[in-house]
Amino acid sequence: MARVELNQITKGFQNQTVVKGVNLVIPDGSFTVLVGPSGCGKSTTLRMIAGLESVTSGEIQIGDQVVNQLPPGKRDVAMVFQNYALYPTMNVYDNIAYGLRNRGTSKKDCKILVEEIAEIVGLTPYLKRKPSQLSGGQRQRVALARAMVKKPKVFLMDEPLSNLDAKLRNQMRVELTSLHKQLGSTFIYVTHDQVEAMTMGDQIVVMSEGNIMQVAAPMDLYQEPENLFVAQFIGSPAMNIIPSENDSQTLWGFRPEKALIMSDAVTTVSTNEMITLRGSIVSREILGADSLYYVETGKGRVVVKMDTDQTVELQTSVQVCVPYSHIYEFDRDSGNRVQRREGKPAPTLAGGMV
Amino acid sequence: MRKAVAAPQISGISNPTKQQVRAGVTQAWMERLRPYLYVAPALTFFFLFFLFPIAYVIYLSFFDWTLLNLEEMDWVGFENYSALLAESDFHQVLWNSLVYTVSTVVLGILLSFLLALWLNKKAKVYGVIQAAVFSPHIISLVSVAMLWMWLMDPQYGLLNALLEMVGLPGYTWLAETKSAMISLILVSIWKGVGYNTLVFIAGMQSIPRDIYEAADLDQSPWWRTLTRITIPMLSPTLFFLLVINTVSSFQVFDTIYVMTQGGPINSTNMLVFYIYEQGMDFYNGGAASAASVILLGLVGILTFLHFRVMGKRVHYQ
Amino acid sequence: MGHVGRTTLKMVEWILLIGVGLVFVFPFLWMFLTAFKTMPEVYQFPPSWWPESWQVENFRKAWSSGPFLTYVWNSLVVAVGTLILQFLIGVPAAYAFARYRFKGKNALFGLSLIALMIPSQVIFLPVYVQMSHWGLVDTLWALILPFGASAFGIFLLRQSFMQVPDEVIEAARLDNASEWKIMWTIMVPLAKPVLVTFGLFSFIYHWNDYFWPLIMTNSDSVRTLPIGISMLKAAEGGKQWNVIMAGNMMLVFPILVVFFFAQRHIINAFVYQSK
Repeated sequence: MARVELNQITKGFQNQTVVKGVNLVIPDGSFTVLVGPSGCGKSTTLRMIAGLESVTSGEIQIGDQVVNQLPPGKRDVAMVFQNYALYPTMNVYDNIAYGLRNRGTSKKDCKILVEEIAEIVGLTPYLKRKPSQLSGGQRQRVALARAMVKKPKVFLMDEPLSNLDAKLRNQMRVELTSLHKQLGSTFIYVTHDQVEAMTMGDQIVVMSEGNIMQVAAPMDLYQEPENLFVAQFIGSPAMNIIPSENDSQTLWGFRPEKALIMSDAVTTVSTNEMITLRGSIVSREILGADSLYYVETGKGRVVVKMDTDQTVELQTSVQVCVPYSHIYEFDRDSGNRVQRREGKPAPTLAGGMV
Repeated sequence: MRKAVAAPQISGISNPTKQQVRAGVTQAWMERLRPYLYVAPALTFFFLFFLFPIAYVIYLSFFDWTLLNLEEMDWVGFENYSALLAESDFHQVLWNSLVYTVSTVVLGILLSFLLALWLNKKAKVYGVIQAAVFSPHIISLVSVAMLWMWLMDPQYGLLNALLEMVGLPGYTWLAETKSAMISLILVSIWKGVGYNTLVFIAGMQSIPRDIYEAADLDQSPWWRTLTRITIPMLSPTLFFLLVINTVSSFQVFDTIYVMTQGGPINSTNMLVFYIYEQGMDFYNGGAASAASVILLGLVGILTFLHFRVMGKRVHYQ
Repeated sequence: MGHVGRTTLKMVEWILLIGVGLVFVFPFLWMFLTAFKTMPEVYQFPPSWWPESWQVENFRKAWSSGPFLTYVWNSLVVAVGTLILQFLIGVPAAYAFARYRFKGKNALFGLSLIALMIPSQVIFLPVYVQMSHWGLVDTLWALILPFGASAFGIFLLRQSFMQVPDEVIEAARLDNASEWKIMWTIMVPLAKPVLVTFGLFSFIYHWNDYFWPLIMTNSDSVRTLPIGISMLKAAEGGKQWNVIMAGNMMLVFPILVVFFFAQRHIINAFVYQSK
């Protein structure tokens, strides 16, 4: 078990820099998720921690040791890969035992450890099988077992669930989080899927173009995005962004689920409490319990998420109302959040959030 | 909830020790060196048994020397070459090599192309016949040579018996100048045609099926499909076979050595046999090495052409 | 085309197929039959098809006409020894060419291409002179060493190593496996089909090879089977074709048996070069 610390880490490939001076502390025992669109540098960061990529500049510490010069095998980390990366010619037992043997663990201890882990992940009946004879979920478990058996200080996971079907993915998500609780080791998890990040991580690192955009707990990330990028990346559908009413230097954002659609006929409530956008509904997507309405307004197209029971016909003229308490204000140039103006109520008052 | 901290310098974190740094540096060196260490044994062998001999034989060709006494070598410049090129025996050797090469390559490829067109089918019989046609290719040339000597025996051989059975006169086979060359060509084609056929079939099978389906939909007649699709798509295969067959025709030796010893009257003496004869039997190292260089040049030109064209082909794909 | 026409065409094709098959297989059958005939039967015209009594004696005669046990042993030593050397030298080279980036890689790889294209028949003379300088002429070393590095083998293996996904190697690195260990315990087992293919190719080539042992050896103690077989021809008392063919069977039969069982593998091994 150990904390991981990145000091001014950069990584350049030929003439482009994919990780640009990242500073990050991953606390001991945390489940930290690196999330961001593809090409944001999250995988490269993980691979640098693993030692699979060299660091162009900066320092990586695992526990209280600087590991920049250490080869991957000596860093006491284990990694689960996207496509499992099992050794195809070895059976499950040998796959799990390979790392132990390379450390010089005795045959007897190997057997005890492997069988113990196999029991935990439910692989005991399959120890003699080759990877090609296993299902996707079973392979995933082998990959996990192979990492777990080494009892590493840090678990690294690079999109480990993306090759599984939706049902299995949900199941594994739950299993991984409970595994993390059980082991209490540090997990560093890379994904491009914000839902995965929000449901699994206790610390989420949002990355974009080689920079860290924000580090926060899931709830904070949703409620208090520090910049436009995070605001739009976290939450589905993405936050609506419109020009602000009184200041050309700022943009306003509001979440689709915080807006209301009202009939044009209703006279709106005091504009001190909320903003009102007039427009007409251009399309609707029914997701199930909720529906998404696409409304063309004078300030651009916005999305509103509403209960499916409250149907509104297409093409009708409506007004979209958003309480000021749910408006986020961002600087147009830097994209950074502007402090809420005084006198407006805090967003935490809004109910209905899980 | 844990909050992100902009990595402060925490006391008590050890910086790498001197030993660790030194170990890291040695390791980095090792990693740099590793690929070279891995290819070194192979390259040493290539150097010792391919590159150096190539240079060495060129060097040797400027000396008068024999295998009997390697200590004594006299520099003669280009004399070996001029002597060789003036010698009518050597002209005969070159001519024989040319006749043999052109005949085996052209006939062999033509025949195997037709066989491939015919045998490239799914049903099991075709697979069996493919294997049968291929089987001589994996048999030792010396076995093949002796087997055919027996078949071609002018008095008791099976071939003449068969000819007689259908009312034809017996053939002279290895006993006469013209027929000896024809016999060698025949044996070479018999041994090699299976390989060529299977290479053609492999090439044909790598042509995407949908091209043929499209051609069928366009009602292309079979001969047009053949000349406009199959043959052009097979051109890399064809070229490969041309080079491989030509090079292997240049290196013909075993059949000559076993079946004819270059005779009758030099009619089947070809380059490698000539080099062998000059070098090992007549102890004329100069002529042998000069002839080797000429052969090397011929193979070199072909190799060069091969890579030029293959390189382009890779480029286009 | 009518139904009858199609049936006759099918018949004609079958006859032609069998005809073509016989052209290539019958000579072997003839060798087999001859090997069991008596001398009078051999020298009979027109020839008899089937041996009257099966003369196993011919094989004994062939076997005892020279030190054939030594020949067979030498053949095996040369074929297997060459293969082992090619494997030990080829694996690291192929791994480096497939997996590492280093200065001069393309040039060095190009150099190996030359070895692929130059047949041994073309450079036997300088190699012979080298061997005699080293005092290796007329030893088994002279038959093994020149083939110690197989360019073809390195190409095949490199191709196969390149197809292994990076993650598998990275997983092994994280499992604290050294590069050397990754090569032998992860990569080599993965390349097994290619190794079998190449092994068959190399073994058959060296088992069959006549030219190189002919050049490099003079004494019975280091000669291989093909040389021994070819010397049956020179036996005194006219050509005893039955004995010669019996000897020939010793050389041909093992290969034909292997071919019968591993047909697809062997054909792939030989045809692979074209791809």
